[in-house]
Amino acid sequence: MNKQGLLKLLALLFSMGLIAAACGGSDDGDTGATDTTEAEAEEAATDDTVAEAGTEAEGDNDTEIVPSEGERAYGGSIAVGLEAEAVGLRPWEDTCSSPCYNMMITIYDKLIEQTVDGEYEGWLLESIEPSEDFMSWVGVLRPGVTFHNGTELTAQTIADMFIVQQTGAASAGQISSANLADVQATGDLEVTYTLSQANSAFPAFLARAPIGMVFDPALATEDPDGYANAPVGTGPFVVESRDLDNETVVVRNENYWGTDPEGNQLPFLDQISFRPIPDEGTRLDALLSGTVNAFQTLRQGTIRDARAAVEEGADVTLLEFQGNNTGGGHFNVLVPPFDDKRVRNGLVHLNPQDQVIEALGGTGISLPATQWFSPDSPWYSEKVAEAWPKFDFNRGVELITEYVNDPARSDGKAVGEPISFEQSCPPDPTLIAATQVIIEVYEQTGGLIEAEVTNYDQQTHINYALGAENGFVGEHGAHCWRWSSEDDPSVNLNPALAPPTAEIAELAGIPGVVSPLNFANWFDGESFQAAVGATQTDDFAARYALYETIMLRIAEETPIWYSGHTATAIGTDANILGLNGWHLPSGSIGVGFPNAEGRWAEVWLG
Amino acid sequence: MLKILGQRLLRLLATLFAVTFLSFFMTSLLPGDPAVAILGEAGVQNEELLNQVREDLGLNDPLPVRYVNWLGNAVQGDLGESYINQGQSVSGTIVQRLPVTAQLAFMAIGLAVLFAVPIGVLGAYRQGRWQDSVSSAGVQVALAVPNFITGIFLIWLFAVKLQWLPASNWNRISDKGIVENLRTAILPATALALTQMAIFSRLVRSDMIATLQENYILSARAKGLKDRYVLFRHALRPSSLSLATIVGINFGALLGGTVIIETLFAIPGLGFRLINAISQRDILVIQGITVSVAVGYVLINTIVDLFYTVLDPRIRRS
Repeated sequence: MNKQGLLKLLALLFSMGLIAAACGGSDDGDTGATDTTEAEAEEAATDDTVAEAGTEAEGDNDTEIVPSEGERAYGGSIAVGLEAEAVGLRPWEDTCSSPCYNMMITIYDKLIEQTVDGEYEGWLLESIEPSEDFMSWVGVLRPGVTFHNGTELTAQTIADMFIVQQTGAASAGQISSANLADVQATGDLEVTYTLSQANSAFPAFLARAPIGMVFDPALATEDPDGYANAPVGTGPFVVESRDLDNETVVVRNENYWGTDPEGNQLPFLDQISFRPIPDEGTRLDALLSGTVNAFQTLRQGTIRDARAAVEEGADVTLLEFQGNNTGGGHFNVLVPPFDDKRVRNGLVHLNPQDQVIEALGGTGISLPATQWFSPDSPWYSEKVAEAWPKFDFNRGVELITEYVNDPARSDGKAVGEPISFEQSCPPDPTLIAATQVIIEVYEQTGGLIEAEVTNYDQQTHINYALGAENGFVGEHGAHCWRWSSEDDPSVNLNPALAPPTAEIAELAGIPGVVSPLNFANWFDGESFQAAVGATQTDDFAARYALYETIMLRIAEETPIWYSGHTATAIGTDANILGLNGWHLPSGSIGVGFPNAEGRWAEVWLG
Repeated sequence: MLKILGQRLLRLLATLFAVTFLSFFMTSLLPGDPAVAILGEAGVQNEELLNQVREDLGLNDPLPVRYVNWLGNAVQGDLGESYINQGQSVSGTIVQRLPVTAQLAFMAIGLAVLFAVPIGVLGAYRQGRWQDSVSSAGVQVALAVPNFITGIFLIWLFAVKLQWLPASNWNRISDKGIVENLRTAILPATALALTQMAIFSRLVRSDMIATLQENYILSARAKGLKDRYVLFRHALRPSSLSLATIVGINFGALLGGTVIIETLFAIPGLGFRLINAISQRDILVIQGITVSVAVGYVLINTIVDLFYTVLDPRIRRS
């Protein structure tokens, strides 16, 4: 090799090294780490109240929700890296997901909050009591609460909010789901909620942003557009500036009503700067480099990388949460061949859940799902876990073969012809990899299945399943989706089980009860009645039995499939304390940081 | 000169018409409903509300009607309002975002030219020798590595390992001063510059090699002028015509081509806004940004054409 050739070779090696260095560390497959850092940070924290809060399922690496210990300190500012920007900060109008929620919860208070046990307790409401038939609820507001602009919070405020919420893009649907018909001020601080149908889980809706977050209705009516970027709430922080897609700065609300259990006025921090950083790797790097002091992620691959960084010595506390939310997908049961249970059942048996979770980067992080509840949820059922069809290649092939050889097969194809459908996921690299794992199994069935893989962007993916153009039936086939949340089961289940079309509602004898959010278009009278029944009693055992019935029906009919429960995390500098184990006004410990949504009022710098 | 300007203006108008027409119709082909994007999954439970939102946005009108309405307003300077970020005008968004992207593009092109010219000149002057081989190999590397990989590497090295520079986001000059602004701009600008630098240096090298064969260069050398003087005073200027052309083209391309780097570094420029607008089906924002990039592109290339006459008097005389 001459000198010139040698130099070119060296340059080539250098370029390969450059690429390797840039890509390194993100795909090392090291997934065995446990939450050592947070364990160290919280090791001294043993609270009797928390000990009762629930037990972790085997293999579940969730961070234990316990209050941070140490001397509380006022002052300081932090920067938080979020997954995305909030398009607006109006709870009634702007669709708000996890990143947006992190911001909104600093500005607004909710009427109700959830405890670590999944119970609902008052936040701005001191109490809320139902009528015997759950058709109305009377809440009493906390006295002495004012908005950032000094306006006093009264029952009339809540009644006036309802007028705005009825036409709000985000709240109108929630009002309908909650069966909320009217809100009246029946005293200075007493609010009466009247429902159109009984709902024993109504407080769950007051714990959600669209109708649970309290805003100034007069200002919202006067300047709804302006409110999006200059919101006024009663929350612990006040918006100081908002530079869309770059930085939203909130500063301490000096007149905040809330205190911690020791009587310290909240919040502790002077300022929080929220920065949208959409790239997962950059967001983690921003934390590791000190560009931000905290970050959130909803991706198990990022949790894996964050764990690796902690193992390598990064001074980071990782607060992991794996709740009810699960990945997977649904079959459009109004479209052949998914209208046949054998096909749905067969495809679920052909879903290699563990391999799919591995492809998603979730091995050792994400637990395989069998229902809408994670193993540490009070609603979890072992019976359902047993009943859920596991990966069984032979059984899957047997069921699909039975359909394929059925002369009366629903797709109208000739006997022996393969089933064909569209298998669609958003173009996320891990989802593409997971789909590929499933497709490889299909390919081993000896030509029984022809699946066309499509990847549309998130918005198109949702629209496609929604199918607004064809009466909300959609034209999708097998469609990647997410299920469930930490909310009361009724919040997500009822709309997902209601009749998907007017015709089906008519046939079921419940005309007018139609839900576009039944994405699988699967209607099962027994399940729907159970879901409705569960909103008419507050007896846990009775409700548990009803939800178990629904989950068993889903396991039997398989209109949907699961991958693993969604692991989420908030990572912070080790000196950021109080994000774990925050308190409700009653002193109960809060739900923690589900879905990487932090509550920042009790956070201090240690 | 006036004739040239007039021709350019006509070309600009024709280009803008084509760009707006195509982008409007192509955007409308995207599957998905902006009304659904606004309302979210929960909001669409209310079909009446869904229809109301569509009506308010004019989405129920036929596409040609929507285009003509938009064009009529656009020629009066009104590019409409964002569907998603309600109350925010599209022109306001562009005015806010364009300086960020333009600064990045300027810095990237500036850095690229700064390094490309000496590397290109060196390669030409030392053609076939080890200096040429090293610079050629380096240029090959720079060309081969996509800019987002460079970006990831720069973040890892300068933010995570050395902790010299922030990994993301943007400090505005108006808020935090020029130094803090440059601290957030330097990594993305460098990531963008690397490929540009490689292209520019290849161009300078090949043009210089040709120029160095010219008789007037040989006579300058024969007169005993120093090599550096000959290279930079006599050879570089006529060798810069292609460079000026490509700088203009690439600057225009960078205005609309920083999407990946802006997203990677979370920089609130036009590219970052555009990618969000696409995912949200915020059609008027997509349209507005596309038009502004197109205008920028044509204007810059017009300026470059005019600059030729300064660079080479022979063009002016012809």
